[in-house]
Amino acid sequence: MDFNEIEAKEGVRLSWNVWPNNRVEATKCVVPLGAFVTPAKHLPDMPVVPYEPVRCRSCGACLNPFSRVDYVGKIWICPFCYSRNHFPPHYASIAENNLPAELFPNYTSIEYQLPQQAAVTAPVYLLVVDTCLAEDDLGALKASLTQALSLLPENALVGLVHVHELGFQDCSKSYVFRGSKEVSMAKIQDQLGMRGIQGRPAAQGQPAGGSNAGIDRFLLPLSDCEFQLSGVLEELQSDAFPATPEDRASRCTGIAMQVAVGLLGAGAAGTAGRVLLFLGGPCTEGPGAIVGKKKDEAIRQHKDINKDTVPYYKKAKKFYEAMSTELVKNGHVVDIFACALDQVGLAEMKIICERTGGVSVLAEGFHHQMFKESFRRLISREGASEASLGLAARGTFEVIPSRDVKVAGVIGPCAPLDKKSQAVADTPVGMGGTTAWRLCGLDAASTICCFFEVANPKADDKQGSPPQQQQFFLQFVTTRQLPSGEVRLRATTMTRAWTDGTNTQHLVAGFDQEASAVLLGRLAAFKMENDDEFDPMRWIDRKLINVAKRFGEFRKDDPQSFQLAPNMSIFPQFMFNLRRSQFVQVFNNSPDETAHYRMILQREGVVSSLIMIQPMLLSYSLSGASHMHIT
Amino acid sequence: TDIGVNPAEFPRPGSEPWNPPFVEGNADPKYMRLTSAALPNSAALKARWGLPVGGIVDPLNKDGPPVTLVDFGSAGIVRCRKCRTYINPFVVWTDGGRRFRCNLCGTTNEVPVDYFCTLGPDGRRRDHNERPELSQGSVEYVASQEYMVRAPMPPVYFFLIDVSAPAVASGSVDSIIQTIKSTLDNLPGDTRTQVGFITFDSSLQFYNLSPKLQAPQMLVVTDLEGEPFLPIPTEDLIVNLAEARHVVDAFLETLPTIIAKNQSADSALGSALQAVHMAMSHLGGKLLVFQTTMPNVGAARLKNRDNATLYGTDREHTLRNPEDPFFKKMAAECSRVQICVDVFSLSPSYTDLASLSTLCKYTGGQMYYYPGFQAQRDSIKLNKDLTHNLTRETGWEAVMRIRCSKGLRISSFHGHFFIRSTDLLALPAVDGDKAYAVQISHEENIVASSEAYLQCALLYTSSSGERRIRVHTMKAPVVSDLGEMYKTADGPATAALLSRLAVEKGLSSRLEDARQAVNARVLAVLKEYKSLYGINHRMPNKLVLPEGLKMVPLYALALTKSKALRGGAKDVGVDERSVVGYQMMAMGVAETLRYLYPTMYALHDMPDNCGNTNAEGMVVMPTPVALATEVLDHRGVYLLDDGRIFICWVGRGAPAEVLEGLFGAAGVSDVLSLEPQQDSEISKSANRLLAALRSKRELHQQCFVVRQGEPMETHWLPYLVEDRTQGAMSYTDFLCHLHRNTSK
Ligand SMILES: [Zn+2]
Ligand SMILES: [Zn+2]
Repeated sequence: MDFNEIEAKEGVRLSWNVWPNNRVEATKCVVPLGAFVTPAKHLPDMPVVPYEPVRCRSCGACLNPFSRVDYVGKIWICPFCYSRNHFPPHYASIAENNLPAELFPNYTSIEYQLPQQAAVTAPVYLLVVDTCLAEDDLGALKASLTQALSLLPENALVGLVHVHELGFQDCSKSYVFRGSKEVSMAKIQDQLGMRGIQGRPAAQGQPAGGSNAGIDRFLLPLSDCEFQLSGVLEELQSDAFPATPEDRASRCTGIAMQVAVGLLGAGAAGTAGRVLLFLGGPCTEGPGAIVGKKKDEAIRQHKDINKDTVPYYKKAKKFYEAMSTELVKNGHVVDIFACALDQVGLAEMKIICERTGGVSVLAEGFHHQMFKESFRRLISREGASEASLGLAARGTFEVIPSRDVKVAGVIGPCAPLDKKSQAVADTPVGMGGTTAWRLCGLDAASTICCFFEVANPKADDKQGSPPQQQQFFLQFVTTRQLPSGEVRLRATTMTRAWTDGTNTQHLVAGFDQEASAVLLGRLAAFKMENDDEFDPMRWIDRKLINVAKRFGEFRKDDPQSFQLAPNMSIFPQFMFNLRRSQFVQVFNNSPDETAHYRMILQREGVVSSLIMIQPMLLSYSLSGASHMHIT
Repeated sequence: TDIGVNPAEFPRPGSEPWNPPFVEGNADPKYMRLTSAALPNSAALKARWGLPVGGIVDPLNKDGPPVTLVDFGSAGIVRCRKCRTYINPFVVWTDGGRRFRCNLCGTTNEVPVDYFCTLGPDGRRRDHNERPELSQGSVEYVASQEYMVRAPMPPVYFFLIDVSAPAVASGSVDSIIQTIKSTLDNLPGDTRTQVGFITFDSSLQFYNLSPKLQAPQMLVVTDLEGEPFLPIPTEDLIVNLAEARHVVDAFLETLPTIIAKNQSADSALGSALQAVHMAMSHLGGKLLVFQTTMPNVGAARLKNRDNATLYGTDREHTLRNPEDPFFKKMAAECSRVQICVDVFSLSPSYTDLASLSTLCKYTGGQMYYYPGFQAQRDSIKLNKDLTHNLTRETGWEAVMRIRCSKGLRISSFHGHFFIRSTDLLALPAVDGDKAYAVQISHEENIVASSEAYLQCALLYTSSSGERRIRVHTMKAPVVSDLGEMYKTADGPATAALLSRLAVEKGLSSRLEDARQAVNARVLAVLKEYKSLYGINHRMPNKLVLPEGLKMVPLYALALTKSKALRGGAKDVGVDERSVVGYQMMAMGVAETLRYLYPTMYALHDMPDNCGNTNAEGMVVMPTPVALATEVLDHRGVYLLDDGRIFICWVGRGAPAEVLEGLFGAAGVSDVLSLEPQQDSEISKSANRLLAALRSKRELHQQCFVVRQGEPMETHWLPYLVEDRTQGAMSYTDFLCHLHRNTSK
């Protein structure tokens, strides 16, 4: 099987392409049953149809080529739950020679144009600019931002935090917040004079909020405010309260973000919004602080975090965790441009970026090419009309499995929703407990790793199920709003074979060693961050040993005889390199760097991730060098 | 009347205020005068003098004669080594001029070598006449380094402007901005002057005016909980006017537009004050607060506590006192860092000025009151008042001390200041419109010497950046005979001191008690006089008044009828009473008298060249008329001047030619205003008169017209202080009352 080819067609890649049909055998697989889904992957052959999907009344799955159709009775049987569904009236003319696109065997991935739910809203860009920068660095940043303004779409709504009121022609007007004190979102909205704008029904004939009271004071179409914003950027001064040489700058990133998030939440909840944070140093003031102001106090390293000796770390993480909830609720994205020689607190802030599908960029300064390039690319991608996949507002990602498959969870650039169903596995892996997740920001490469469990077949199953069933099905349903305001629903339905699991040959034939390695990488990184007891070395070693034990062929007492099937042969090397990778090894990296790398690992597809795990691998493969064998 | 005299002959002030005779070597009475030129030699004698013993000090009085500037250079100012008295005309030279004896404490001091001069046969130094400090009662020294705790501060004008919706709607903000704009070129201090602005409603708006900017930046702070914070450094908030003029101009140009659509009807004045205090604390300066809406958000919220039912109870005075200690604390903090607060209250309704005025009180500032400000009616007044405030000569970071000679001491101070270390008055800013009163007590039971001395020294920074000390010295005979005190009594000064004491009494008692205290003192002094001289006069049926005090009964009566003391809750609003009381505490002698007993002129009977300056350099004035209904001719038109406003009363029967000439009106009911000037001699005279009177006043006097018999007349009648009113005696009754009671 060429898994890359399948991926190109379906946008999905599995660790195992043949699954054991019972729980016991499934747990013996060592590498979890998982799928990498790239929900916005560009699929050249995928049709886009101008209507809504027909969905199963019982499990909500979309009508798909694997459904059994009774053309006479105008009935279809859901392959996931076996429910019988009547076609809606407008499908009355359905016949074997008159099929809707979603029943074409080739169209396992299909996109529906849903009737617009939201008014067409322009994407919102809120720039959060750290002004505690050296003059030259601020200058470089200002230049990049000014340039970026010319790349953004004209209708994009743009705002600036430390917080600028842009709808104000007479004089540059900013709202200033105390950097040292945590404030609630409601309070921020209150203080920005946006109280009551949400939820308050507008009196008849009167626009809600009034033109002077609402969000439009802070966020304006670029075409209306470009001149003014350029002016504001121009006059942006280096922090006016310079720190003494012994002190770090008094930087209140936490509150600035809180304000930005509150501002977007008040005015643009549910529509596409991005907070772009340009950060040149650590937060030292107020909530989200990661270090004190005195320079002789060093910024935390991994060992400090492990020993739990950093007073700031947990508090800051908690603060950003709450912020991520707010962001996810409103469907807004955070991108972090961390441009400093020292750490800026990405480790603590990671969650607001990761859960919202944002990107992080690490560079040594704003004058650095790394920043300029990354930023320009991000902005121009957003700007290009074809790159409509850049932003998904309040998108959702939903997994519908066959009834004997349970969804254990996902790891990726998304956040859990609370969709309970029969399909939720008892033991979560990654973000579990649900079958649906929020997608705030999504691009063509964003990849979600889903974990599955196999349930034991129920004896009293009347419908007839495994072992009789030969195949199992998975459907991934993604909705997202395009920049044009259009809401799209993509349904990808796939099927794979069951096996009874005792026959490892069958299993091994379906083993995707690349996907499996990346899956274990994601899982290791996730556990390292979420499980204090977790020992990644031991865990990886055990995985490798158990894979070898279960799937290797060897003669007893003859190590030389050990052999792995060809499609498993590089797997040990992947594991070896994963052990040494920056995702697992923190020795030479700062917590910020680790956070940054892991964020990339948790959002990139299999191939890109693999390059990062094992940068040398491809050069070996390409040069045709023989595969290494472990001894 | 039972005393059988003609009310027309009762003592009344003339058009010019009376001044005590000049004493060589003494400061001019405009700067410093005593309630009695002779001081009692004992506490017992003082006790028999029913009136307060003390004086009025007006150290920078703008009407005073010129004061010579003296520069001792690096040699330093010559002072008594023991009591620190400044060298003055009354020190005694000994030892051929090598030593001098201090006239206040008697200590003998060496004369510094540089300052030595031989003595003439009269015992005076031969350079007596060339040395202003030896020949003049008032001099101003250039202070040397030792008089500075820091480099002399620049003039700083900080504007804190209420831009709540009611303030904007009243037009006050526009008026304020236009006035500031027009005075920027005339602020004292040349290129040293600094300015800053904060506006507020429910939030605080800061303005970055850094000269590095092209245009001002507005920074809004809405978080008012806890300690305030400044969103930008103070050097961007308070800027050198000359350097940042383009930004300040741009700011003043745009501010009206910025606030035009303001919808907030709240005021965070307390928080704004905290922020300004932080901003100004390293510099000090003048803070001008423009207040419309009662502070109701942020720090220090005020509430409507006007309560008429408290009148007549022992809690009545609480209405006239601050409720929230915030303002007093804030004022003390401001005083400490040399901030002087002026409050311009423009409120349409009660706004607890008793609390707000505390800010000015302890910082030596001023309280301005424009009840229900409306631009159309009041913008000229606000403009003139503010312009005067901003452009007058002002002293900065000042302290004042009054020393008196052995045996005597200053026992109390009355006015607006903060007292530091028992007798040092802290005055963050000081100017020629403010006077201070003191009472003098005996430190020893008997003062042995026949002469006493007082010296007032005001150390301040001039707007030009020089540290200066203005020193006024005076000599007063010490007498053991009460008769000498009656002879030298200074009625006007007494009235000025008495009025301050009465206002203060009103802050701790009922108004009724304060009024009675005034009457009791007058009665006491007259009773004592009668017991001394009654037999000599042999006129049992006539009230005999000592010459120097002859006007005191009238002023006392007027005092009890002034807005500060008269009536009860319904007669004067509590805010207005607070402001009037506040202003009376800082008035000079002449101002006090004019305010207590306004001058009334008959406009229908003016000399031809009225309002012009005559050959002697005096402005020709109409003859003043008594403030009594019975002298008002219903065919006449009268102008009343109390130094704060003008009221023009138009008699019901005023002849057509007067109405036509003065007002361009066909009948009384058409009369609107004395201004603008009509094309007639009488109108020109009247307008010249208004202009001449206004030219000397601190506050711009608006001119209101009252037509006889119309409802507006209720505002006019209280000015006729000689009339009998409900609950208050007429002048005649009062004199009878005094006569009766002194005869007992
Ligand atoms: Zn179903
Ligand atoms: Zn002395």
